Amino acid sequence: MNENRRVPPLSRRQVLRAGAALGIGAGLAGRHGLLIPQALAAGRTLTIADVGVGDPGGDWSRFEQATGNEVNLVSIGNAPSAVVNQLIAGGGQSTFDVINIVGGMQKPLVDNDLILELDTGRLPNWQGNSYIEQYLAPATPGFQFIGYEDKIYGVPTVLQGDSFAYLPQETGELDSYAALFDPKFKGFVALEDNYTTAGQKTALFLKHSGQAEIEDPADMAPEEVKTVIDFMIEKKKAGQFRVVWSSFEQAVNLITSKEVHVIDCWEPMVFVARDQGHDVVYAAPKEGYLLWAMGAYVVDNPERSEAELADTYALLDFMLGPWYGAKITLLRGYMTNPAAPGYAKAHPDEFSAEEAARVAEITDGVQRKFEQGGTWQNRWPTHVDVYEEEWQRFKAA
Amino acid sequence: MPRAATASRATSALIWAGLGLVLLFLYAPLVPPAIHSFEGAATAGFFRNYAAIFHDERLMRALRTSLAVGLLVALIAPALALLAAEAVRTWRMPRLIIAIMLLPLFVPGISMGLATGLLFQILGIKPSLLTITAVHVLWALPFAFLIVLTVMASFDQVYLEAAYMSGANRVRAFLEVELPQIRQGVVGAAVFSLIISFNETIRTSVVQGGRNTVQTYLWSQYQQVGLSPHLFALMTLIIVITLALIALVALIDWRRRTA
Amino acid sequence: MRLPGRVRLSHLLVLGLPLLLIAGLILGPLLITLAISVFEKKGFWISPAFTLDSYRLFLTGVRLEVLERSFRVAFASTAIMLLIAYPIAYVITLRVRAELTRAFLFLFAVPFLVNYIVRTFAWADILSRTGFVNAALIRLGLIDQPLDWLLFSDFAVYLGLVTAYMPFMIFPIWLSLSGVDRRLLEASWMLGEPPLATFRRVTFPLSLPGVFAAAIFGFVGSFGEVAVSLILGGTGYQLLGNAVASALDVLNYPLAAAISTVATGLMLALLIVWYRLFDIRLLLGKIMGRA
Repeated sequence: MNENRRVPPLSRRQVLRAGAALGIGAGLAGRHGLLIPQALAAGRTLTIADVGVGDPGGDWSRFEQATGNEVNLVSIGNAPSAVVNQLIAGGGQSTFDVINIVGGMQKPLVDNDLILELDTGRLPNWQGNSYIEQYLAPATPGFQFIGYEDKIYGVPTVLQGDSFAYLPQETGELDSYAALFDPKFKGFVALEDNYTTAGQKTALFLKHSGQAEIEDPADMAPEEVKTVIDFMIEKKKAGQFRVVWSSFEQAVNLITSKEVHVIDCWEPMVFVARDQGHDVVYAAPKEGYLLWAMGAYVVDNPERSEAELADTYALLDFMLGPWYGAKITLLRGYMTNPAAPGYAKAHPDEFSAEEAARVAEITDGVQRKFEQGGTWQNRWPTHVDVYEEEWQRFKAA
Repeated sequence: MPRAATASRATSALIWAGLGLVLLFLYAPLVPPAIHSFEGAATAGFFRNYAAIFHDERLMRALRTSLAVGLLVALIAPALALLAAEAVRTWRMPRLIIAIMLLPLFVPGISMGLATGLLFQILGIKPSLLTITAVHVLWALPFAFLIVLTVMASFDQVYLEAAYMSGANRVRAFLEVELPQIRQGVVGAAVFSLIISFNETIRTSVVQGGRNTVQTYLWSQYQQVGLSPHLFALMTLIIVITLALIALVALIDWRRRTA
Repeated sequence: MRLPGRVRLSHLLVLGLPLLLIAGLILGPLLITLAISVFEKKGFWISPAFTLDSYRLFLTGVRLEVLERSFRVAFASTAIMLLIAYPIAYVITLRVRAELTRAFLFLFAVPFLVNYIVRTFAWADILSRTGFVNAALIRLGLIDQPLDWLLFSDFAVYLGLVTAYMPFMIFPIWLSLSGVDRRLLEASWMLGEPPLATFRRVTFPLSLPGVFAAAIFGFVGSFGEVAVSLILGGTGYQLLGNAVASALDVLNYPLAAAISTVATGLMLALLIVWYRLFDIRLLLGKIMGRA
C-alpha cells in the first residue's frame, strides 16, 4: 500500500505543548517515537490530503513519470476542524506533504505551525500564472486564500464564484438572491449549512437591497451578524426553508428530485444534475458572486529533508501546471490556471475537442464572474465566535 | 398447547405478514442504491458500473483495509469480551467492569475518536492499520461484551462444576463444556463486531493517517464531490453476495437437520 | 467455586492485563476530553487553565435544547424499537424452524452492510415530494399534493433511527429468549398458569439480560446519531453529535469537550440509576453462579 513511511508523529514542540498541557510534559520531553531515517532517493511517495476536488481522476502518471515519485491521495473533510484535527491529532504532520483545501484558513494553520511559507521562486509555473496577480494580489481580499500577513503560503489550485441554482421550469428566470427569500417559493428553498457561504450571501443581498446596514459582508461586526441572522430566523419561522444541506450528495439530490426549486449551492452540483438530464441553471445574480479559491499548502514537517522538500515543491508546481489545471477544470467545473484551456486545445491526444471546448467555456464563465465581482468568501471572520453562536441560534429557532 | 387449527393458522398468517412488513421496511432503503447502481446502463452496458468498481484503485485499497481491519476486529473483540465476562465471574465486581466496558458507548463518536487520536499522539504511536484496528476494537467491544454477557447469563455453571469434578482444569472445562453452549453468542459477537467495524466512520477518520477504509472514502466522496454510480454498485454487490451466502447457510442448516 | 491460590495469580495476569490495557485505552481519551473541557480556548488551539466557561456556554446557551432533544428522541425511539424487536425475537424463537433460525437472524443484519449514510439517504429518496411514497399515494388517488411532513420532520427522523438500529436489537433478545429452559415454561403451564401469565412471570424476566443489552444498543445508537439528523431532519435539526461537530468546526475544542463530557456524565448517571433500581443479578443471570 502507498503508505508514507516517514516518521515522528509530532514535532517536539507540539508534543511538549500537548504534554505539558496535560501535565505529562517532563516525562515526554525525551520521547521520539519511532525514528527511521529515510533514504533520500527518488521513488518516494508523496502524500497529499485533499478535500475531494484535487484528485485528477487518480491519474498522476505525468508527475510520476517526470519525477520518479508516486502520489498518494488521502481524502479529508473540508471543515476547519477536519483539517486541523488531521494535522494535530491524526498524525498528519508526519503523514502529509501537501494539503489541498479551500483557502482562508491560513491563520489557524500558521499560528499552529502547521504549514510552511512558500518560496515562489522554486515554482516555475507560478511566474506565468496571471490569475495570481489579477485576483489574488497582496492587499486584496483574494490574498486571504493563499497568503497570510504578507507572506505566501499556498498555491492557488482552483478559483470559483458561487451563487445559487434554480429550476427554471418551476420558477422562471431568477437573477437575484432575493429568490432565496421570496415567499413565492416558500418551503421550496434550501440553504447550505455554512455561515461563510449562506450567511455571507444573505449579507450581500441585504446590503445591496438596502435592507440592512452592512459595511463588509465578508467581515461583519457582531451587530451586523445579528441582523442577518434575525432576518434568516424570521424567514425560517415562516417556513421558507425546506432544509439546510451539508453534503454534496444531498444538494445534488435536492435538485434532481425537485424537492426544492431554489437552492444555495456550488456550481459543480449543477453540472452533475445537468449531466443527468435535469434542467437547472446556476444563477447570475445582480448582487454579485461569492468568490473563493483553493490552495495547496506544504505541511510543516520538521523532520523532512531538503530532497524531500524539493520533491514536494515539484508536486506543487505540477498542480500549477496546465495539464493538471485542464483535468481538474474538466472533472470538477472550476477554473484553475490560465494555461489550462490553451493546453487542452493544443493536445488533442489528451483532451478531445469537446473536452477542450468545455474547459474554455468553464474558464470563461468563471472569469466573467470575477469581473462582475461580489464578495470574497471569508472562512475565518474576525468575530467568528459570534458567527458560530448566531448560526447555532438560527438552527435552534 | 392445544388450539383450534384454523385460529392457529390465521394467527400464523398474521405473524408472518407482520414479519414481512418489518423486513420490507428494513430492506426498502436498499432499493434506491440498487437503482442508482444501474445509472447509464442503457447506453454503456448493463454492468458497466460494476466493472468500474475494480478500476477504482483508491476504492480497492480502501476495501482491502476495511476487510483486514474487520477480520482482526472479529477475532479480537469477542476474545476480549470473553475475558471480560470471565473477569466478572471470577472477581465478582460486575458493576465496575461493566461500567468500564460500556463507557465507550456513552461518548459521542467524534469526541472519542479525537481524544483517542490525541492519546496516540502523546504516546508516540503513529497512524497505521493497527491504530485503526484498535479504535474499531474499542468501539465494537461494548457490543461484543453485552452479547457475551447475555449468552452467559443462561449458562448454568453446574456443568463447569461437573467438569472440574471429572478432573478437567479451568481452560479445558471452558473449551469443552462452556464454549459449545455459548458458541452461538460468541459467533454472534464476532459477526456483530465485523459489521460494526465495517460501518465505523467517524472515529476512524481521525486515526486513519494515510489509509482509507471504505467508509471514510465514501464519507469524503459524499461530502465533497458526490457519490458515483460505481460506489452504489459496490454496495449492491455486497448485499447480493451476502444474501447469497445466507441462502447457502440456510441450505446447509436445512440439510444438516433433515439428513 | 474456590480454586488453588496459584491458579488465581495466573488468572490475574491472563484476565487482568488485557483488561488493564482496555481500561487504559478507554479511560485515557476520556480523561483527555475532561481535561480539554476545562482548558481555555486560545486562538485556534487550547491553553491549560481551569475554567468552566465552556460548560457555561453550553448549558446556558441555545445548544442545551439539542441535548434535551437528543435524550427525548433516544428514549422514544428506543421504546419504539423495543416494542418492535421483542415480538420479532419472540416469533423467531418460537415459530421459526431451528434449521432456518441462523439464516433468519442474518437476514435482519444484512442491511447493515450498506453504509448507514447511503441507507439514510435512501430514505430521503423514498420520502421526498417526488419519491416513491408520495408518488404511490398520488397514483392511488389518496392525496392530491405530496405530503410535506414525510421528510424533514420528526417522523422521518424516527423512521430513520428505528430502521437503522432496531435490527441490532433483535439478536440479543433472541439470545436471551432462546436460552430460556423450556421445562420452566412447561412447569408453569402444568401449574395452571394461562399463557399470558407464564410470559409475564417466567419468560419475560428470564429474557431481561437480552432486553437490557438491546435497550443499550438502541439508546446509544440513537443518541450518538449524526447522519439521520442532517439528512432527514428539518432546517437546523440537530442532535448531540451535530452540536459537537459544529463546535469542532470552529476549532472550539473546549466547548466540544464540554458537550461530550456532559453527555457522557448524564449517561453514566443513568447507568448508576439503573444499578440502583434494578438487581444486577437480573442482568447477569447465571453468570455469578449459585452463590
